[in-house]
Amino acid sequence: MLAPSRSNLYIGLLCIVFAALLIFIWIPLDTDSGIVEKVRGRFAIGDALAPTIAACFILVGGGLLVAFERNGPNQSSLRRSHVLFMGKLFAVTVLSLLVMRFAGPLCAEIANLFRTDPIEYRLLRATAGWKHIGFSLGGILMVAGIIAIVERGFSLRGLLTAVLAVLAMIAMFDLPFEDLLLPPNGDV
Amino acid sequence: MGVLDYIWLGVLAVFQGPEAFTVFGISVSITVMMVLSGFLFGILVGATPGLAGPFAMAISLPILISIFGYSPDALLPVMGFLIGIMKGATIGGAVPAILFNTPGTPDAFMTTLDGYPMAQWGQAKKALRIAHFSSASGDTFSDIVLFVCAPFLAILVEAYLDLPEKTGLLILSLSFIAAVIGGSPGKGLISIGLGLLAVYVGTGEDFYPRLTMGADKLSRGFPITTAVLGVLIIGAVFKGLEETWQESRKGKRSIVVPETGDQKLRWPDIKRLLPHISRSALIGTGIGALPGVGSTLAATLGYSTARARYAKSKDADAAAFGEGAPEGIAATEAANSAVSGANLIPVLSLGIPGNAAAVFLILATETIGGFNPGPSVFRFSPDVINPELVVAFGLFTCMTIANLFNWTIGGVFMRSMGFMIRIPKQLLLPSVLLLTLTAIYVQETRIEAIWFALGFGVLGYFMRVLAISPLPFVIAFILGKSLEETARQAYSATGNDPFFLFNNPIALAFILMSVAVIFFTGRKAKKAAP
Repeated sequence: MLAPSRSNLYIGLLCIVFAALLIFIWIPLDTDSGIVEKVRGRFAIGDALAPTIAACFILVGGGLLVAFERNGPNQSSLRRSHVLFMGKLFAVTVLSLLVMRFAGPLCAEIANLFRTDPIEYRLLRATAGWKHIGFSLGGILMVAGIIAIVERGFSLRGLLTAVLAVLAMIAMFDLPFEDLLLPPNGDV
Repeated sequence: MGVLDYIWLGVLAVFQGPEAFTVFGISVSITVMMVLSGFLFGILVGATPGLAGPFAMAISLPILISIFGYSPDALLPVMGFLIGIMKGATIGGAVPAILFNTPGTPDAFMTTLDGYPMAQWGQAKKALRIAHFSSASGDTFSDIVLFVCAPFLAILVEAYLDLPEKTGLLILSLSFIAAVIGGSPGKGLISIGLGLLAVYVGTGEDFYPRLTMGADKLSRGFPITTAVLGVLIIGAVFKGLEETWQESRKGKRSIVVPETGDQKLRWPDIKRLLPHISRSALIGTGIGALPGVGSTLAATLGYSTARARYAKSKDADAAAFGEGAPEGIAATEAANSAVSGANLIPVLSLGIPGNAAAVFLILATETIGGFNPGPSVFRFSPDVINPELVVAFGLFTCMTIANLFNWTIGGVFMRSMGFMIRIPKQLLLPSVLLLTLTAIYVQETRIEAIWFALGFGVLGYFMRVLAISPLPFVIAFILGKSLEETARQAYSATGNDPFFLFNNPIALAFILMSVAVIFFTGRKAKKAAP
């Protein structure tokens, strides 16, 4: 028989430590005014009060978990598989976002190798085709990559779904609205 | 301007707004069409396992804002669409629950208990008709209660509660939400604390943006869309993907059972179901009016109450609850649908969202501007028109229109949605992730917004894994700024009294109630432990 999970106790203790760090280190060091400050001879609520109250909620919550709920039934625990799966998803998503961000400017640089008059991606970000490069490549990588993780293998069906999803989103956000910018065209 | 004048103005704002098209010379307004589109879209999304109303609301909002802009004229069409989704998704959730034993939305879980056995006997269409009739009845009842109670409650709040009491009320609401959502007051408080902490990053009154550790990108704080969509939607997408990944891919095929017997809902059936529907509608409305207490609890309570009654009165040959009793479907659907209207009582009268759908309605009003849900909405000013009150009655009109659509075409549309179960989750959810990130970018137009949303998504995922409900986080994020502002104003208004919460009897009562609700639910949790 498996030993019952003690996750409530660990979450509670972690929250108590986190709240203590907030109250005694982060908030005092990272706010300009204290809990209460004197402005022109009068006391006023400072910027540190609200985050301190937030920290108190975390502290009391952690305390309740330790005091009242540490032996609670059916405690869900964080397993290695959760972290591994999330790690894979996160990695694919981050990689896709990086592709999305840099694919357009990179294509412009590659095109410059074959051109006499250099082009700049920033000036092309409203031009059909150019403006879709980053979103399309990054989006397809994201959707197809995640499908491959969940299905435990790459599939043509996943790739086709990704292409269709990206095309649908371009049709939804880009074609009807001139003022909307697909990622990453607001940043380049 | 009297009450009736305001109601009439609200109705006119909906029907005489910008025209979509004319039919036989009669103008059909865009708002009416938006309610209809939202309602049909909501049924479609509700009928899709793995998706729910909030997904559709999150994805639609930036598109709607792009279409209608940020002017107050945009409020009714945008909110009408969202209200349509809210109502449509509620009835849509029953479709896969009855046909395939897979609840489309979490609220529809109890519907599977009797709906699926009925479908297995060849009574699927009848079960769907019962679900639709009960859902529409519960929803309509709850809306009527909302129309009557919200203005009344708002007027009471505005008349009797000053700044210290309002601060106390916000603290009580947060404590109550922490105590009741997710069944663990400790985890609820942690969720609230994290939400408050997130909203206070980069804000405040000092020149230096607090809690940013000097990072320039954090100096404007986290945009509300990144926190709400990140924790609620992206976190749910990650969790849904993980569950799909964990599930063995056995390729379970659903067996189509041929229809047998009468599939229509006849008057004797309705007469038999009405007591259960009425009781559940009352339970759902009562529960829905409390912020944070969700439709799942309403469905469970409605179902268990009906089961106890039914066991005493049922015929010997009638199916028991859990074995295909139509009364079980009726009790569940009436209760969970009655929550949706009543949940808007705290939103409109106090500005406190009670569930995920309400969170998105508040998000829409915050993004568009011109309407601040709270007691000031229901200020019946006799001399000058209060535009917020006109919008409020416009929203009530939109809800009534959505109910009319529900009663007329909702059932037919709902019964045709069985095919949505065939869309594999592993193909749908990654597309929803990209769609959500795109929607966030389109609204914020800076890549940091996507990183923030992704970070909140990871937080939402781990919160779900550890059974920490993300809803208190989101509600605290929404209410955090207003809590701080009200406290600052109360402090100044009471002559810098640091004990303003304790020197005022009503505020003190709210604070004591906050402590009591946490303490007693905490003790209850301890008693439940072995």
